[in-house]
Amino acid sequence: MGGPGGRRASPRPALGSWAAAGASGSQDHEDARREMTSPPETESLGDRAAAALLGYRDGRTDAMREFVREATPLLWRTVRAQGVPREAADDVVQQTWAALVSHVDSISEPKATLKWLLVTARRAAWEVVRKARADEQRRTDLPDDDTETSATLPDPTPGPEAEVLRNERDRLLWGALRELPARCQELLRLVSLADRPDYRSISAAIGMPVGSIGATRGRCLAKLRTLLTEHGETSWT
Amino acid sequence: MDMTYFDDVPGAEDPLDASDVALLARLAELDERLDPVPDGLVERSLFAITLAGLESEVMELMVLEAPAGTVRSDAPPLETRTITFTHERLTVMIALSPGNTPRTVRVDGWIAPADTLTIVLRRPDGDHRSTADDDGRFVLEDVPRGLASLLVEQDDVPITTPVIEL
Repeated sequence: MGGPGGRRASPRPALGSWAAAGASGSQDHEDARREMTSPPETESLGDRAAAALLGYRDGRTDAMREFVREATPLLWRTVRAQGVPREAADDVVQQTWAALVSHVDSISEPKATLKWLLVTARRAAWEVVRKARADEQRRTDLPDDDTETSATLPDPTPGPEAEVLRNERDRLLWGALRELPARCQELLRLVSLADRPDYRSISAAIGMPVGSIGATRGRCLAKLRTLLTEHGETSWT
Repeated sequence: MDMTYFDDVPGAEDPLDASDVALLARLAELDERLDPVPDGLVERSLFAITLAGLESEVMELMVLEAPAGTVRSDAPPLETRTITFTHERLTVMIALSPGNTPRTVRVDGWIAPADTLTIVLRRPDGDHRSTADDDGRFVLEDVPRGLASLLVEQDDVPITTPVIEL
């Protein structure tokens, strides 16, 4: 497609034009992939983010398209976890992706791409929440003493009594999850979306570094299991 | 976060096992049921990326007001919908109604503060252009339904809306 006429020429290819561009750069792509894959681990979500960024810089969009597909649910959960309503969360996720390509040349460490995305999404979400609270304050003619409650957004996620919680096991899991600190809930939500639980890049991205050796269960998941056991669940599967 | 809460959680250092993986899968399934990722968000994001690649700098408008569920996919085609976007510099309101031909919409728009600015409606297969009149009103007729974003050319930095479904 053409850019808006009369404006500066497009420095980037449209995502739709990428199938053709990707084919000619397969050698570079292989090199990039090899470079990204740090032995002995297999390629992680963070690695795919880095490969997508490097490819995009070179005008190849196939890896970016795939990565957008894979990581959009992570951004959605991240934004929703900060208390942003669904409609605004849709905008924030789009803006986060748009911001990535606008800053594609200023991300100095490609390995930090996933972290950059999650941090950007969180900050944008906080900004939306901050503005909504400020608007709420302005609308209140008489200042309420209890600002804590009057300025708080409605809980974006349903309580354990919600109809959608089909059975007792769902209610147990939802209840146990909500007993964890917010950041622990967020970490588990994001980790649960990765095809392999990709603790390292995700936990680093949201500021909860975990041990560097192997894929251990981690404290958040161990705590969730403990809570489920305390609440009487005997089997997690 | 209160880390003392976690000082001694049995099993935290154990390797991830099949029960952990199953528990995480249940969690993902529950989340998706309670708060599903919106249909079409990936496609809107891909188009937003394409649009972002066309402009080095933009001001982004946010959806201020829209009837629930009407901005995104599966919006009812035959009813008039009004969507308001806002930013510190500009507010854009658009009313969508059926176009003259099937699967098209008519966009009646209004920008405030009123100014004779160029409006570009960007779609994956091309642009539609209009100019706002002295009252800030503009019209785009017979726009095919689907993904779209409005761009308002103002000063050096254009203003855009999020990608929505017409």
